Amino acid sequence: MSEAKRLHPAAIIFNFIRSLREAIFLIIFGYLTFSDTYFLYFILGGVALLLVLIATSVLSWYRFTYRVEEEELRIEYGVLVRKKRYISKNRIQSIDLTSGVLHRLLKLTKVNIETAGSGTDAEASLKAVKLAEGERLRSELKKGAGQETVEAQTEEDEEVVPQDQPTFKITFKRLFIAGTTSGSIGVVFAAFAFFFSQFEQFIPDEVYDTTMNWVIGLGIALMIGLAILVLLVLWLLGIAGTMIKYGNFTIVRNKDELFITRGLLEKKQLTIPLNRIQAVGVQESLIRQPLGFATVFAEVAGGSMDKGEDFSTVLFPIMKKEEVEGFLQELMPDYADQEEPFKPLPKRALKIYLGYATWPLLFVGAAVLYFIPQFFWAVLILIAVFLFLGYLQYKDAGFRVEGKRLSIRHRTFGRMTVNIYHRRMQAFEKKQHKLQKLQRLASMKVSIISKFGAGKHYKLTQLEEEDVDSLGDWYSYRKENEVPGSSAE
Amino acid sequence: MRQPPVNTIARDAIKAWKITAALYVAILWLITIGLFWLIVEFDLPGWIGWTAAGISAVSTYLFIFLLPELRWRRWRYEVFEQEIYIQHGILIVTRTIVPMIRVQHVDTSQGPILKRFQLASVTISTAATTHEIPALLEEDASELRDHISRLARVDEDDV
Repeated sequence: MSEAKRLHPAAIIFNFIRSLREAIFLIIFGYLTFSDTYFLYFILGGVALLLVLIATSVLSWYRFTYRVEEEELRIEYGVLVRKKRYISKNRIQSIDLTSGVLHRLLKLTKVNIETAGSGTDAEASLKAVKLAEGERLRSELKKGAGQETVEAQTEEDEEVVPQDQPTFKITFKRLFIAGTTSGSIGVVFAAFAFFFSQFEQFIPDEVYDTTMNWVIGLGIALMIGLAILVLLVLWLLGIAGTMIKYGNFTIVRNKDELFITRGLLEKKQLTIPLNRIQAVGVQESLIRQPLGFATVFAEVAGGSMDKGEDFSTVLFPIMKKEEVEGFLQELMPDYADQEEPFKPLPKRALKIYLGYATWPLLFVGAAVLYFIPQFFWAVLILIAVFLFLGYLQYKDAGFRVEGKRLSIRHRTFGRMTVNIYHRRMQAFEKKQHKLQKLQRLASMKVSIISKFGAGKHYKLTQLEEEDVDSLGDWYSYRKENEVPGSSAE
Repeated sequence: MRQPPVNTIARDAIKAWKITAALYVAILWLITIGLFWLIVEFDLPGWIGWTAAGISAVSTYLFIFLLPELRWRRWRYEVFEQEIYIQHGILIVTRTIVPMIRVQHVDTSQGPILKRFQLASVTISTAATTHEIPALLEEDASELRDHISRLARVDEDDV
């Protein structure tokens, strides 16, 4: 494959759509300014612009060539300024295939090639190639020739996954649960609560008055009905969104890489080299935790940031809490065997947690008491809720050291458990203010690399000072600090 | 993490910080004077000016007389064979361990004020964090930089 190749001609359409999207403001602006008096000019200008866009789309497709030569991916592109980009094979970290709806209709795929370099864009992106060609390119560019890769499907939707590789696939039922318990339901609940409290306010007025108020009442009922309908639609959209995003979610372990395939409409294939995983965690949101469900995620170093992606990479959108251990055992045994219990915070940390959870509400409470005292009960309820949240935050916070692995558990709203290896930690920090010093408490912070070269920090506050110090000793590379029990390197 | 790092930063750091703070506080005083001029000119209520003057006076005391001294006293660092140990923070005391093998690069920099006192600041970057030692004697700073970059040259290919 040393001869230069062009992308599939469909790339012209993608180029055109993208440049059209960029030019849309110009067109709207032109329409607003010229449509009244110089409509003819607007049409002419618009047509000219369209022609230019089409011409540049075709030209940039024509100029864009790629080839694999001397262990390098060589791309040449650019209409006015010619550019060449050579990416060495062994610098390539991951190759992702994404197929949008249009891609799938034409049996095409988009190839994103990423290196360790930081940046928000993929290092190289082939907008449209034949699916088979994309697969071939991927296996050819894989580090170390001869390495077997997952020979994934060439047929649409026909997943041929070798049986001997550990594979996890989401079931429809689980996907549905993931949708119904996704973040949007929180919004729905909050809105429901708000409307019910409003509703109660309206009822007394309604009872006393007659026809006129009946009409108003009808209006209000209608409004509430409409609001509920809107919320229901939002919720359904949330479900649909989750199902489209995570539909057919499959994760496969192949040697030292994880392959993730997901998406109902836009099909995405991600490759995660295991040695780029910095931490693996489990998130249990407020809604999912009581139902016993959790999300497994990983922090992966480098790579690009996709639009609408979270910072962390989802390894599995939803599974039962007790299935997590088996999942990790199969896919990432390094992160499995989580047996020891977490070391909790000391009792005296509780009052600090309760204080932090509620003090902003004191201002709200004071303001409400002054301006609308009849609503003070709402503040009391809110305080009670936040006190409870503070208690949960205190109760769930904790840490655990198992050999060279540190696990941190904490809660903001949802409960997060993160497992980080000693060698993945970039820095360790102990923080202590005056009040903490009096109480012999301290906070800690661990930093790891996350996406697009930025750092990610995990904090645990109000620990026993002694614990933070011994964690510091555990982390320290000074030999005299080697703690008995933590295995030496 | 039980013992603080042993080395203090250069004593002249206090002077350098005071001068920097004085420059900023001078701006505050200029604004205050400007306000008083506006008050006289346009017959505005006087409390605006007095509030501004109060803020300026408090800032002068805090940022020129109080904080640089405290900050210097708290600032400590120590360079070990395997790691760098830093302590800073006036109200919240922060102690940080940065392992040598995690250090990506070390920079020294020197603005006009630091230059006047032959001082320089050293910035240590890992792949996830940056840490600054704000004022060291020039030769200490460059020695530290060389030392760290020598020690950090240990090869380890996990990212």
